[in-house]
Amino acid sequence: MTAQPVTDTTIPDDLPGAVERHGRIVAANDQKAILADFRSDRIGQLVGSASLPPDLVSSEVLDLVRDPDGLFSAWIRYTAASGVRTVLRSRWIHADGGWRVNSVRNVPATPPRTGTEGPDTSEVDRPFWEGLAAGELRVQQCASCGTFVWSPRVLCPSCHGDDLRWPAVEPRGTVYSWTRTWQPFHPSLAGHLPFVVVLAEIPSAGGRRLLGVLDTGDTTDGADIAVGRPVEAVIDRPDGEGWPVLRWRLA
Amino acid sequence: MSGPCSWRGTTAAVGIANTPFLKHGASSRGSMSLTLDAILAAAADAGIDPHDIDGFASYANDRSEGLAVGAALGVREIRWSTMVWGGGGGGLAAAVNAAAIAVATGQATCVAVYRGIAEIDVGRQSYSEGHISSLYSANGIFTPAQICAMRTQRMIEVDGVPASALEALVAAGYHHARNNPDAAGRDREMDHESYLDARPISDPLRLFDCSRENDAAGAVIITTAERARDLRHPPAYVLSGVQGGAQGWTESVENENPYGTAGFHPALVARLWDDAGVKPNDVDVVQVYENFSGPAVASLIDLGLCPPGPDAGAFMTLENLIAPDGALPINTAGGNIAEGFVHGIGLAVEAVRQIRGTSPNQVPQARHSLLLGGPQAPLVSATLFGSTPTP
Repeated sequence: MTAQPVTDTTIPDDLPGAVERHGRIVAANDQKAILADFRSDRIGQLVGSASLPPDLVSSEVLDLVRDPDGLFSAWIRYTAASGVRTVLRSRWIHADGGWRVNSVRNVPATPPRTGTEGPDTSEVDRPFWEGLAAGELRVQQCASCGTFVWSPRVLCPSCHGDDLRWPAVEPRGTVYSWTRTWQPFHPSLAGHLPFVVVLAEIPSAGGRRLLGVLDTGDTTDGADIAVGRPVEAVIDRPDGEGWPVLRWRLA
Repeated sequence: MSGPCSWRGTTAAVGIANTPFLKHGASSRGSMSLTLDAILAAAADAGIDPHDIDGFASYANDRSEGLAVGAALGVREIRWSTMVWGGGGGGLAAAVNAAAIAVATGQATCVAVYRGIAEIDVGRQSYSEGHISSLYSANGIFTPAQICAMRTQRMIEVDGVPASALEALVAAGYHHARNNPDAAGRDREMDHESYLDARPISDPLRLFDCSRENDAAGAVIITTAERARDLRHPPAYVLSGVQGGAQGWTESVENENPYGTAGFHPALVARLWDDAGVKPNDVDVVQVYENFSGPAVASLIDLGLCPPGPDAGAFMTLENLIAPDGALPINTAGGNIAEGFVHGIGLAVEAVRQIRGTSPNQVPQARHSLLLGGPQAPLVSATLFGSTPTP
């Protein structure tokens, strides 16, 4: 790309009408018409990506812009009978003989709560979760030889000591790798797709690497996350009952 | 350098079969039923009485236990029954190796290696059962696709392997599938535009970077080299086989090292070549397990078959990866991506076909045919087949 790409902000004449109509049929819960607006090769992905409350009563197109990649983004606000308002950003492409939704997401992006937070059946990771509940990032460490152990185990793989402790570590690291997940692999992901999972390397834990979704769900500046970027731990507490979960925030 | 292993060339694959690759969920019959079909067909292919099978080997927690399979077939005696632990498709070649070792040591005389999946009784995504703890799923990770995506991202972003290498591997699978009447993906045109335009799954992996999921079964029958010479097809001799994981590799919730690799560590790779007495450039054709394109590329790099880093791009081209004339033809029946996915057993069947000369995309005079299982799984494994008992 050149330093100053030509930006075409033109909106095709027939697109605003298609987007308005889409908002109306979504608000009317006209399933057949909704599916017809989706790109035919990704209907399953689109259906599982966004989340809307039931009993919608109205829709309003907030904005429609041309994106740098040539697709168009529409922000549509839906209002439910309860008064709850939900905004979806849909990205539009001309395909299958008309304007179609290429991807859709809830805005703002938020990280998913999957319902699987908390100790695994082995319970060996319980102190990690209890640490989060106490507001600390705790990583397993062998008291005998000092080796940091992750994933958690019952013996130190280095010296075979069984006195494994859970010190709080400096809750900072760098991005070791990452992925942005688009596919609705689990029902709990609806309304949060796509989201970015970060694998962060933690210097104060002997370079052990811990997973966490970005605290903002996805990057907010449109730029991609990159290996090596510094991150800090954020403890995301549930509204009600349940375990907190570790998130990573771009520092 | 340890020299050839004691069992080199003493066993051979003599019977092979796949059932049709049905869409996942499409089979009205269960995995045991499909598995029995595959074993009976493999026995018929070999020209042996199924009652003579006296051993069973499988992997990835296949639900059809060897003793139950033997009972269902009414075999005369069960002398060997082995499940390879761990690693999903990483057990593919390890199961072949287990069968060969049983035969080589006289524990059994004729072992069926099999894998069968039918959603009706094992459910969706049975291939990853037991590998996704809450340390993954609480972070939105429910599938191997997302795990392999992170490892592939590191391979691309840090190691410098170009994304084009992934695309070339996918294109080669689909290219070969077009000549395979049994391939589920035989009608799919895979050009640059359709590859890039497919829906994203988990960056950097798109739809066509991912294996299929099918209801089907496959089987490979291993017997002694001596007996193999009297059977119907040219034997595919087992020259060497390795399996395992290096220190710090297995089940560490993304603390595996070296992270961007497939997990075929140097000591394991050296054993594969030394035990067979074969060098990487002696390999004529490779069936490389592609759960996803990235791990498969990493496998070829680990094995020394493809240069690492940015140089992988110049090697991983469609031209280089296709039969009959490519420098390293891979996945010549289409592989997990384009032929069909039953945890890779179809790759084992195709590795044997190449030695017989009956591949839908035959590599002329293929003498050394390599099977790789499991990339970026807790376990990896490899089997090298040869057209002669010594290289």
